[in-house]
Amino acid sequence: MATQTTEPASPARSTRPGGVRVALMFGLGTAALAAAVLLSLVMGARVTPPGEVIGALTGAGDEFTATVVESRYPRTVLGIMAGAALALAGTLMQGITRNPLADPGLLGVNAGAAAAVVTVTAVVGPTSVTGTVWAALPGAVLAGAAAYIVGTRGGEGGMVRLILAGAVISAVLNAYVQAVALSMPDSFDSYRYWVVGSLAGRGFDVFWAALPVILAGLLIALCVMGGLNGLALGRDAAVSLGVSTVWVQGGGLVAATLLAAGATAAVGPIAFVGLAVPHIVRAMVGVDFRLQVPFALVVGPTLLLVADVVGRTLLRPTELMVGVVTAFVGAPVLLYAIRRMRSTA
Amino acid sequence: MSRQSTLPSRSRSAPPAPETEHRPPRGVMVLRLGRALALPIRRRSLVVGVLIAVVVLVCAAATLTLGNLGVPLSQLPSVLTGGGEATDRFVLSRLRGPRLIVAVGVGAALGIAGALFQSVTRNPLGSPDVIGLAAGAGSGAAVAALLLPGVLPVPVGALLGAGLAIGLVALSTGTGLRHPGRLIVAGIGVAAMAQAFTHFVVAVLARDEATSLATYLNGSLTARDWEHAAVIWGALALSLPVLVYLAGPIRLGEMGDEISETLGVPAKSTRTAAILMSVVLSAAAVSVAGPIAFVALTAPQIARRLSGAGGPSLVLSAAVGALLLVCADLVVQQVPVGEGLPVGIVTMGLGGIYLGHLLIREWRKGSL
Repeated sequence: MATQTTEPASPARSTRPGGVRVALMFGLGTAALAAAVLLSLVMGARVTPPGEVIGALTGAGDEFTATVVESRYPRTVLGIMAGAALALAGTLMQGITRNPLADPGLLGVNAGAAAAVVTVTAVVGPTSVTGTVWAALPGAVLAGAAAYIVGTRGGEGGMVRLILAGAVISAVLNAYVQAVALSMPDSFDSYRYWVVGSLAGRGFDVFWAALPVILAGLLIALCVMGGLNGLALGRDAAVSLGVSTVWVQGGGLVAATLLAAGATAAVGPIAFVGLAVPHIVRAMVGVDFRLQVPFALVVGPTLLLVADVVGRTLLRPTELMVGVVTAFVGAPVLLYAIRRMRSTA
Repeated sequence: MSRQSTLPSRSRSAPPAPETEHRPPRGVMVLRLGRALALPIRRRSLVVGVLIAVVVLVCAAATLTLGNLGVPLSQLPSVLTGGGEATDRFVLSRLRGPRLIVAVGVGAALGIAGALFQSVTRNPLGSPDVIGLAAGAGSGAAVAALLLPGVLPVPVGALLGAGLAIGLVALSTGTGLRHPGRLIVAGIGVAAMAQAFTHFVVAVLARDEATSLATYLNGSLTARDWEHAAVIWGALALSLPVLVYLAGPIRLGEMGDEISETLGVPAKSTRTAAILMSVVLSAAAVSVAGPIAFVALTAPQIARRLSGAGGPSLVLSAAVGALLLVCADLVVQQVPVGEGLPVGIVTMGLGGIYLGHLLIREWRKGSL
């Protein structure tokens, strides 16, 4: 199977780009993120000129503009958090499973979170935002674990097994979710909004509820990212390099699930960000995870915010959910990744 | 794969007849129409087919008679022949009748589409819904119905969408339609894009109708009329001659490209024709009922297991597909828990579990 793994184990691409180049690209990425943040504050049903936005930020502008811009704070902040979390989760998953197709959404994590939220809502009734986050967590963890166990049965699974297992689990859970949500339409108004994946209409309370989970995931991710480099060479090589594979794989999976679950609980299931960002990052900085992680943290939010802005402006004055935009942008990355598998398989 | 393992054992159990007599092997009858047509029919397949037909009839009768508005069983024959009470006639001709006919037609079309696809791609998982064809047809139908109403008939839109989807899948696997796993992963990607596109189309126009959108995207048989029935049965009737012609070449194709070429059957054009028919039939099904999940995947598999035959049976797959869909529709109409749900949700849940079972079995055998 090692020969089938593309980027993470391919020695030809592991030549590290120079430090200056990396610093330059990181600067560019940060600038792009800043631009995306600004765009997210400027664009909307009404375009607020950047000058007025800055005025409102410093408290100098008129009250109306200040209110409009203020309504765009939460979704911008949520976009940054969710984008970073999803991108990091994807990077970790692709590193741990050594599978360039791994993505928390494709592994059923989103569907698991949705199923748990629906169950809790159906049994207990509509919950608070914090309740939603805590309900989504175990569902996400269970679904991710199930996909991983089924997909890796009988040794190191092939490239596609994990995805297939995730697709099956997602299909069954989605049927359950739809069945419950459609048969109890009254209690699921907010759920329907959540399930398409959207940054709109969510306040700072969502942010604060999801933040601890995501920070915990981030912390673990930072601890294991060095070990991922060893793991990329294969389990045996990693062991002989002194990497604790159990700790790196287990910790990495826990971190990825926490990140994905936190993001999903906050903004709904947004697919393909976790898949696409690692591919973009690897094209930029190569395979070193100590570089991939910080770049993912910059590229992910940029992508999500830009997708959100596109969704906001495409159908003005109404909005297209950001999950729809990311699917349209991210799915081609999946197709591209499959095509690449052929050349290396 | 199952047929490779069953073929040799079958030939052992039925020793070949002497060459000169041209006697069919044991358990096989031959249906002859003059000199031109000779269809071998296995006895077990025949029995299974008749049994399925009976069960379909029972389920159909249940569909018509159960529930509040159901036509009482004793009245059914007279209502069917145009007599009976006006209410019952209305229920039969406007409510339950067309719905049932559409369910049978869609199920049969999906069963055939799945059997064709699985056979010529030699891929037990390669069914139109798994590889994103149904989702593509769905978004094509959405475009035709919502964006260009009146310009493009909905079935044509579905057909174009399905064609586009399968083209994308074939293009992005880089290996055509052969490699099972890659086909499905590409299908997941294409399906996600098609669904996103459908969401987009619906968001442009009908953004307030969240529930009806969910119903449509899941595949539903609610409120079908005779026009829907005409579309799906018309598609079935039109494809029948092609299917009769293709049945032989497809069976030979099961033995591999080389053997079928040796026997004078061009493998590649058979495959192309079969996939085209599969696309047409699933597009027709999607345009009348939305993307109903997993019937096309499971029906041929179940048919194959029931008949015990090595190869695919289009007729049996059609019968099983019709049975599955009529049963699932009966569930959403009469079981209190499932009441009012789109039928696609029932098939998605059950079919998903079956797909999981199938995947694990394929992995055990190491063929994926």
